[in-house]
Amino acid sequence: MTDSTRPECVPVLASISAYLDGELPGTECVRIEAHCVGCESCATLVEGLRATLGLCRGVASLPLPAPVRERAQASVQKLLDDALGSPKVRG
Amino acid sequence: MTNAPQVDRSSADTVRAEYAELVREAATGERSAMERLLMRVQEVAYRFSLLVCGHQEDAEDVMQDALLKTYQHVGKISDPSAFRTWLYTTVRNACLMKRRRRVGEPSHFEPIEGGGGLEGTGRRAMDVPDMASPPDDRLMDGWIDRRLRTALQALPPAYRIVLVLREIDGLSTREVATVTGVSEANVKQRLHRARVMLRRQLEIP
Repeated sequence: MTDSTRPECVPVLASISAYLDGELPGTECVRIEAHCVGCESCATLVEGLRATLGLCRGVASLPLPAPVRERAQASVQKLLDDALGSPKVRG
Repeated sequence: MTNAPQVDRSSADTVRAEYAELVREAATGERSAMERLLMRVQEVAYRFSLLVCGHQEDAEDVMQDALLKTYQHVGKISDPSAFRTWLYTTVRNACLMKRRRRVGEPSHFEPIEGGGGLEGTGRRAMDVPDMASPPDDRLMDGWIDRRLRTALQALPPAYRIVLVLREIDGLSTREVATVTGVSEANVKQRLHRARVMLRRQLEIP
């Protein structure tokens, strides 16, 4: 929030994160959306935050880089082999 | 403008349930279930450590630490649904230990060879610039967008950790509060500021 923030934007700015998280009741969502129709600054902020979060969201589903994954698998196998013994090879 | 809330938290509930199921299966001692859990744990530890602390070498150490601690812990779990917060707390603590050690390190190392001068250049060996990306950076660039990693590193650590836990790993506000040891209200406040800062760092209009 800056000194040039318009008074009518203040409650919207305070609620934007809750809005993006789906934590606001429907009436509050409608109020924010109606405000953003007439306020380019707040509309840009909402869209910008949504794009920012969109960049973050896909990261958790990325598999480990291949060399790191190989080391991780080797560590698991060694730990379990040491603790449980090597799995028996079926002929 | 969209009319609906923008964040899908139902997938977070699914992930939480998956963890609990994985823990229940691993606790039976079944090897393949244990393997799946331990791989998942290492993925979490590596990603979290790299994004929060920013050092690949530390991330691999934190990954190993999480592997061993989970193996020792999994048979003692009475509430599988609490496993996820236990894991992130364990990983966070390992990262903090790493960071404390790094704070005590010198910012660079003098070569152990005496002198260290490059003949005729007036420079020391440690001043030679390496313009190529280190192999670690190239590996990371192929994994997570460098722009996002750089932007995350520019955030204050207390904000970065909240943002990574919530937006990347999908923990609930309550879970983030448990892992970080701050109130839920404080988590929400930090999260909002972190989102705004990250947007600015990414130069998203």
